[in-house]
Amino acid sequence: MRIPIRMISIATTFFWIFLIAFFVSAVYSVKDVHFDFGEPQMGLTSDNKVVFSLPVSIANSGFYNIGSFNISTEISDKEGFTITRGSTFVPVIKKNDVVTITHNMTIDLNDLLQQDKNYLLNDTELKIYEAVSMRIADVIPVQASTNFSMPWGAPLYNFTLGEPAYAPYNLTHFRVTIPISFENHAFFDLVGNVQIQMYNSTDIIVGEGQTNIEAYHNSPYNGYVEFYVSMTGTTPTGRFEVYFSTSIFDYGPLVIPYG
Amino acid sequence: MADTGNNFKKKIRNFTFKALKATVKGILFYAIYFVLWMFLAPISDMVPGFQQMIETFVMVYILLMIVGELVSGTIFQYFFNVAKALFVIGYLIFSLNGGIFGLTFQNVSLMVDLRLFLVIAMLLSLLGLAKSVLQAINYMNEKAEYTRI
Repeated sequence: MRIPIRMISIATTFFWIFLIAFFVSAVYSVKDVHFDFGEPQMGLTSDNKVVFSLPVSIANSGFYNIGSFNISTEISDKEGFTITRGSTFVPVIKKNDVVTITHNMTIDLNDLLQQDKNYLLNDTELKIYEAVSMRIADVIPVQASTNFSMPWGAPLYNFTLGEPAYAPYNLTHFRVTIPISFENHAFFDLVGNVQIQMYNSTDIIVGEGQTNIEAYHNSPYNGYVEFYVSMTGTTPTGRFEVYFSTSIFDYGPLVIPYG
Repeated sequence: MADTGNNFKKKIRNFTFKALKATVKGILFYAIYFVLWMFLAPISDMVPGFQQMIETFVMVYILLMIVGELVSGTIFQYFFNVAKALFVIGYLIFSLNGGIFGLTFQNVSLMVDLRLFLVIAMLLSLLGLAKSVLQAINYMNEKAEYTRI
């Protein structure tokens, strides 16, 4: 019985040494893995979607390869509704290798604004969940995650149509001037077109007009729209339907009553 | 009378030898821990309580090892070996929280999945436990044989 016991002793000692040496060296090699997160960039895709790009550089100077490296980001609103999510996966980062990746996330503003027009008109906070996971030495899964919030600036903050000013144009029509004002709090410049349709109290369209807008980010915009309406169709009360068409999003109608 | 004196001297010599062996083993084990700790030290800055956790483990393990060594040649040696194996199993399970090790640092939560490591350590500890039981059985067998002879 002594020989089997001796064999078990030798085997367990060998495996313990191997296990401890592997674990310690794997943990130690983590300190030689360096992450460098670059400046986040924003851009537009060909189909006018907003792209957030985060360049990430991973330098693995440790003893082992890093497997299944994954960065995932989820952006949600205050109520927890997911707006977008994106993930970037690198199967293997070999030892003594430097890998540079770009973590991209795409937001379709058209979809977002159709869900909730508040993003267009009101500043709010977006919740961001960021998680980085990997397998150290290909066998020890590690995940780091964090939550933070990011301010969302509305592109048409405090959008207001002023009182329509009627001026006689000819015997049958008025020339209507409607002042437009808003502040562009968004991270992008707003270039496009605003179209206003004027409906009377019996839901009949009495006139429409449009104007080009160009509002740089973090700046106010003041302008006006001019169009002609028939004198007979005009009523003291009614509504305006406003349509926005910009390089980044299209939205409408935004209904604003008058009178 | 002379036999009793010789026996006492022999016992003292045996105990001194065991104590010396236990001391050497303890120092050697601590030296290994000391060397390994140099590699693990960067982690202790990030993980609060990590050093305390390892130190407690090393202290108890060395204690069991020394006591086991002092009672070597008796059945109690195997009891302490079994206790050592059970301590390793229990301590690993409790300290590693079942293999999922998590901590929160400021706003960042870190999760390390050590289940594979834990399973292998568990299996090795169980092998150590089995070995101790076998050694105890073998010891009792041999003792019974000598008594019969």
